[in-house]
Amino acid sequence: MFYRIPEINYFRASTLEEALELISKLENVKVLAGGSDLLIDLKIRRYEVKNVVDISGIKELSYIEDRGDHVAIGAATKLQDIVESPIIATKAPVLAEAVNEMASWQVRNVATIGGNLCNASPAADTAPPLLVLNARLRLVSLEGEREVPITEFFLGPRKTVLRKGELLKEIVVPYERGAGASFIKLGRRNAFTLSVVAVATLVKVRNGIFDDVRVALNSVAPKPVRAVSVEKFLKSREVSMSAIEEGAKRVLQDISPISDVRASADYRKEMSVILTKESLLRSLERAGVKL
Amino acid sequence: MALTEDPYTLISKWLHAKEFLVVGKGIARADALDKALGTAKFVEDYFQEGMLFVKQVLSTEPHAKILRVRDEEALKVPKVVKVFTARDIPGENQVGYALPDQPLIAEGKVRYHGELVALVAAEDIDAALRAAELVKVDYDPLPYVLDPLEALERKDVLVHEEVGSNIAFRTKVRKGNVEEGFSEADVIVENEYRTHHQDHVYLETEGALAIPGLDGRLTVVTAAQYPHLAQSIIARVLGVPASSIKVVVPFMGGGFGGKDDEGPLTAAKAALVAHLTGRPAFILYTREESLRMHPKREATIIKYKSGATKDGKLTAIDVKIIHDTGAYANRGPFILWRATVHASGPYEVPHARVEGYCVYTNKVYQGSFRGFGNPSVQFAAEMQMNELARKLGMDPVEFRLKNMLRPGSRTITNQLLEESVGIAEAVEKLAEKVNWAKRRAECESFKGRYRRGIGIGVAWHGISTSRGVPDWSNAYVKIDKDGSVSMFTGIVEMGQGSPNSSHRQIVAEILGAPLEKVKVVFGTSDAPDAGATHASRGTSIGAIGVLVAAARVRERLNKLAAELLGCKPEDVEIKNGVVRAKGTGKELSWDELIKQAYARGVDLSATGYFFLPKGKFNDELGQGQAYPAFSYVAMIAEVEVDTWTGKVRVLRIWPALAAGRIINPQQVEGQIEGAAVQGMGYVLMEQFVFDNKGRILNADLTDYVVPTTLDIPEIEKPVYVEDLFKYGPFGAKGVGEMALIPAPAAIAGAVSHALGKPITKLPLTPEAVYFELRKGGST
Ligand SMILES: Cc1cc2nc3c(=O)[nH]c(=O)nc-3n(C[C@H](O)[C@H](O)[C@H](O)COP(=O)(O)OP(=O)(O)OC[C@H]3O[C@@H](n4cnc5c(N)ncnc54)[C@H](O)[C@@H]3O)c2cc1C
Repeated sequence: MFYRIPEINYFRASTLEEALELISKLENVKVLAGGSDLLIDLKIRRYEVKNVVDISGIKELSYIEDRGDHVAIGAATKLQDIVESPIIATKAPVLAEAVNEMASWQVRNVATIGGNLCNASPAADTAPPLLVLNARLRLVSLEGEREVPITEFFLGPRKTVLRKGELLKEIVVPYERGAGASFIKLGRRNAFTLSVVAVATLVKVRNGIFDDVRVALNSVAPKPVRAVSVEKFLKSREVSMSAIEEGAKRVLQDISPISDVRASADYRKEMSVILTKESLLRSLERAGVKL
Repeated sequence: MALTEDPYTLISKWLHAKEFLVVGKGIARADALDKALGTAKFVEDYFQEGMLFVKQVLSTEPHAKILRVRDEEALKVPKVVKVFTARDIPGENQVGYALPDQPLIAEGKVRYHGELVALVAAEDIDAALRAAELVKVDYDPLPYVLDPLEALERKDVLVHEEVGSNIAFRTKVRKGNVEEGFSEADVIVENEYRTHHQDHVYLETEGALAIPGLDGRLTVVTAAQYPHLAQSIIARVLGVPASSIKVVVPFMGGGFGGKDDEGPLTAAKAALVAHLTGRPAFILYTREESLRMHPKREATIIKYKSGATKDGKLTAIDVKIIHDTGAYANRGPFILWRATVHASGPYEVPHARVEGYCVYTNKVYQGSFRGFGNPSVQFAAEMQMNELARKLGMDPVEFRLKNMLRPGSRTITNQLLEESVGIAEAVEKLAEKVNWAKRRAECESFKGRYRRGIGIGVAWHGISTSRGVPDWSNAYVKIDKDGSVSMFTGIVEMGQGSPNSSHRQIVAEILGAPLEKVKVVFGTSDAPDAGATHASRGTSIGAIGVLVAAARVRERLNKLAAELLGCKPEDVEIKNGVVRAKGTGKELSWDELIKQAYARGVDLSATGYFFLPKGKFNDELGQGQAYPAFSYVAMIAEVEVDTWTGKVRVLRIWPALAAGRIINPQQVEGQIEGAAVQGMGYVLMEQFVFDNKGRILNADLTDYVVPTTLDIPEIEKPVYVEDLFKYGPFGAKGVGEMALIPAPAAIAGAVSHALGKPITKLPLTPEAVYFELRKGGST
């Protein structure tokens, strides 16, 4: 029942360097990008925060660049910029598909992709597409930079591998040639709603055989997950409806949903299977594969 | 024709008018531009720095004795002025509308998680928020009861000890002999229905600003649906005469009944602080507070048994209605009354037994909400009709039409409906427009993942207060020297538009004054008491007084013009500011006529009090006149169900209204669309989740989901049957609530048709539909 933002010291960084210095020096510090998660969390006292460093004004963190074999997205890039980017539309359309269904136009114009990932909500909608795209995250601190695959980034609800003094700087999305990918979100209404379950899938097919299969879901585990059992089952198998149906069922081995105000665990389980199947079918269609 | 000031004569004279200048036309409302530009002002817009900010401390227990409210820490916060509890109330701490069971601020014990325990006043919002967190309440927890069926049984856990049980109120209707009725039936359907709470989610949460001494009184600017009621509640709480309180309701960001209940209480909270400190005080609920504490649509359990003969005639209904009223009765008894007398749906039933129970539990309390007890019972009644039709092998529309109320029918309270019963015609026209039989067959051809269904809901809704409960109307009209007209009414402007569209049209129509010269001053307790803006009455009962006041002035103008133009008063024609003697070519301007009236001593001001005549109702027998008239509505909905996920999409909605005269079709369409969407949200997605302490777990708009634009279906132009009501202004009966009432029945009926299964429980979330489909094997 607290709806007051506690007293905090507010710092606005204008360069990455400045931001890194501030977050390494300050105690109980949180980075603020769009604030669309953080401000609510401050109000409900999810965190004990003394200092906030605002990175939303740092221009060098906001970009979408085509770098020949991958796309690079600055962590403070607004979600709406991703929706409207021609680069994303051609090189990573499944990401645009997911982001387009997030929040509303107004929120997408303040919220950032880095914020969605670093907030590490189990329901983060940019996670499933980035998980199937095998994205890599470039983390930076005063000590230097490191790169982690997104599959290793999330540790649990609101927990990531980010260390004290470290920021997410960039999301690296490798090109996927000859793949079909899709994202399906099931919410409680048609727009402006958090996922009950969302699934992203990516497939590559050669000679009627699954060459590569990647499946990721949110809202069905403490963190967004890859459905490795589904992937393992389908990989190298002949593409068929029965294989897809059988494969989709394996998703239950990869998830551990809970019941909450949005849905029951049982419903989430059933929907994970159904949406995995549906998304695989859609991905195949997009890859030009006929069943 | 002689000059008359008799309201009955005036109402009837204008009821039968043949031609209209502005009535019946889609005239833009007076506030359209201000709303579009964002210059229209709401309560919050009147807040200024330097006023006290009031914050509420809410109960964290479902049922507990209040041992102590400790404010020492809170008072140490700089800029905090004072913490107020029940003890500080100078007048009566009693605000129950139907029963005297409810304090403004909890006294002795709390009865739900979210009840008001203390008010904190501070110089600014931050200090108030901080201090509110530091107020500590010592509770002695009591056993509590959350389930209404359990509450009915228990005598050891009582929400209100003084009552002796958890039954706040009972109602009944009896007609004929049900046992006999069922013995005549060839088919019988028996089901238990469950419907859930709903929140109003008005864009503007509750707020009030109280300013001592303004205008010589304590003036309270507030978002309440009845300024005069807010005035009397404030007066009672402060222990002062009502005449020392003025209530002004500026533009309101939605009410839907919620601010009929909570509005006066909000006003009283700000007034209390202002009165005790002598300083302007402002309160504004957060969305979370609003969701946690203000009354909700009733949650119900309805046991319904009905019978019909082979040839499709209803023989009997036996209905038991249980309303979970939560911690307080509030308007629960009235809501239950409405549900009880409407339990049959708009049908002739020779034998009826209806019993209602309004049951206390330790949850947020129930209250007024668009439809007022009727959507839930019409849902049950209509689902019964669908099942009976199915068992009889009859088309659901045909079966309904065989039993529908018509002029000369008697209701289940044995009320004779002499006139103004246009529902059968409306349903026939609607079914034809929709091409019902064909569309229904087409729906059934969808067999794959996506199934289609079509459903109909037909409903009735009594006009005015139930039984003999007094109801009246009034207004004040005056014309200034420059020919401009002012009309003062207590009816409020909460988005529905009655003052700014239909009232203005009625005044312009009757006086013949140009529309742009007519100004409506609404929502003030300084205007004559016109009753509340609820029960779809703003443009109907609420405007009778407007009509009478304007018509009185018009009679005087006719007499004067006749003298000036040398004709008979009945030959005077006033249209858009030109005054003519019919057939003579003689004319004068409106402004000139008004000038002459001032020069010759004609009184250009009048009130229009009208006391609605009512029949008798015998509560013991459950028989008599329930309402002076009924408005009727029908809705057909077509849905698509995704059988993979259980997700329901409403594709199209077709409404029909038999609500008397349509004074402004544009506004009526707005009401129908809004109500249909609010009804759809109720059926498909809105629901509260309570924990085992009766705490609402989703008291925020992240998890209390209402429809967005992308969820809204195509809503077709309404079918109108203008079945005039003899006391309505120009025969209008009221529209505001109407389209919500059949929405649950129509949409759930369509889902049931798509699934090939009866539906007995709302809401129809994807999850609920998904598991319903798989229950006992799908079709
Ligand atoms: C109305 C509404 C609707 C929403 N709908 C959706 C939805 O449909 N789907 C969905 O997934 N989310 C939704 N959200 C949640 C939120 O908008 C997104 O998660 C958004 O992307 C968060 O970004 P932000 O820039 O606002 O993050 P912030 O609130 O600024 O930050 C979030 C967290 O990440 C940290 N952080 C931010 N940037 C960095 C960085 N570069 N390095 C390290 N840490 C960082 C912050 O310290 C904080 O802990 C919604 C939120 C609202 C208010």
